[in-house]
Amino acid sequence: MNRTEQPLPRARRANLVVKELTDETLVYDEETHEAHCLNQTAAFVWKHCDGRTSVARLGRLLNQETKTARPEQVVWSAIEQLERSHLLESPVRRPADVPRMSRRELMRGLGIAAAVAVPLVTSIVAPTAAEAASIACSPAGGPCTSDANCCAPARCNVGAGTCFNP
Amino acid sequence: MEKIDRLGWAAGFSFISYGRRIGVRTNDPAILGCLQRHLPPGWKPSSSPVVERLYSLIVGGPSSRPNVRRLNLLYGDTTRLARSAEIDEVLLTFESNLRLFVAEAARRRLFIHAGVVGWRGRAILIPGQSMSGKTSLVLALVRAGATYYSDEYAVLDERGRVHPFPKTLSIREHSHYRQTEYPVETFGGRRGVKPLPVGLVLVSPYRAGARWRPQPVSAGQGILELLSHTISARRQPEKALVVLQRALADASIIKGARGEAHQVANSILERMKDEG
Repeated sequence: MNRTEQPLPRARRANLVVKELTDETLVYDEETHEAHCLNQTAAFVWKHCDGRTSVARLGRLLNQETKTARPEQVVWSAIEQLERSHLLESPVRRPADVPRMSRRELMRGLGIAAAVAVPLVTSIVAPTAAEAASIACSPAGGPCTSDANCCAPARCNVGAGTCFNP
Repeated sequence: MEKIDRLGWAAGFSFISYGRRIGVRTNDPAILGCLQRHLPPGWKPSSSPVVERLYSLIVGGPSSRPNVRRLNLLYGDTTRLARSAEIDEVLLTFESNLRLFVAEAARRRLFIHAGVVGWRGRAILIPGQSMSGKTSLVLALVRAGATYYSDEYAVLDERGRVHPFPKTLSIREHSHYRQTEYPVETFGGRRGVKPLPVGLVLVSPYRAGARWRPQPVSAGQGILELLSHTISARRQPEKALVVLQRALADASIIKGARGEAHQVANSILERMKDEG
């Protein structure tokens, strides 16, 4: 791919619950049960990924909005994180002539404003009810004297005195 | 269900907990009082024969055959939850399973696995997994003067305020897994009654020898922290995000491993005083 064939990233919209905070955007993915927190820069890029806007143009828009140094590098960093979080419709290939920069290199390059400008997507997997709760039972591997000691579906190996998953 | 239904049920009752109708039946009427002691705080009796969840307890005991003992069995709807010679173990499973059902299915409330205390009109939330030290920190805060709300669940209403879930404190003493229950009054503590707005969220798991140097966390990161301990996160993600957003609107969120609970309790309350 050369620079004339600019990729056109498109944000995923289906099966997502989106909540806007003052400086962040929360996204809950109902397919994977992952929740993501996008900082301002990551959210800006994600919102402008409409499948018609090139990465170079996204960089110019970001620069107009935030006066970010190295805007195209920042956009690529955001896109890579959004892609890893399954928040884009399809993968976007970085052109060979755009060097990959680690988050640390990017922060160093952006200097003092980096904490705000460097895109960041933080993710968790939402727990099942049982995972979220404190249950008075032992998980697989925990001690037991009967099935009642083990968290379902684990059963008790009475001989070994430990719970196991059947 | 039909096979279980055909067993001889001698007694039962139904009740409402957090908007859900639940039934319990047993072959032994003598166990009913004991079962009621394991119901969630705030339950109310119901006369409705229709329930959303039915627990069936078969109390075992000596058999007519020599050297045979019938085990105690507990079912949640048609799923066997416990099978043990020890009735206390079965009752413990009943209690924890029932609480989990209520926490996940509650109407108009959001349950987060967290310890909660009240201090100067605001709530301190301590989300965490089992054995992360929630109860120890709750107890240390209560001993330092805070009001007890819960050592297991933060119960949030639609406005994001925290309500008490005043169960007894579950303290692990001689074993990592077994807990002993103590009323908070045993430690000179007081129970909270009124709903409180959230003032502080402490993401602060216990680590032996850790020096407590918590860092502030953004609102979005704080919501993720709480969501990862929210019982109905998968079932009602939109509701969870809305309630958590409201709950944290005026709250500070700090994160960092801590050492012994009694060493940090006073500085936590001091921090609330400074921010209040």
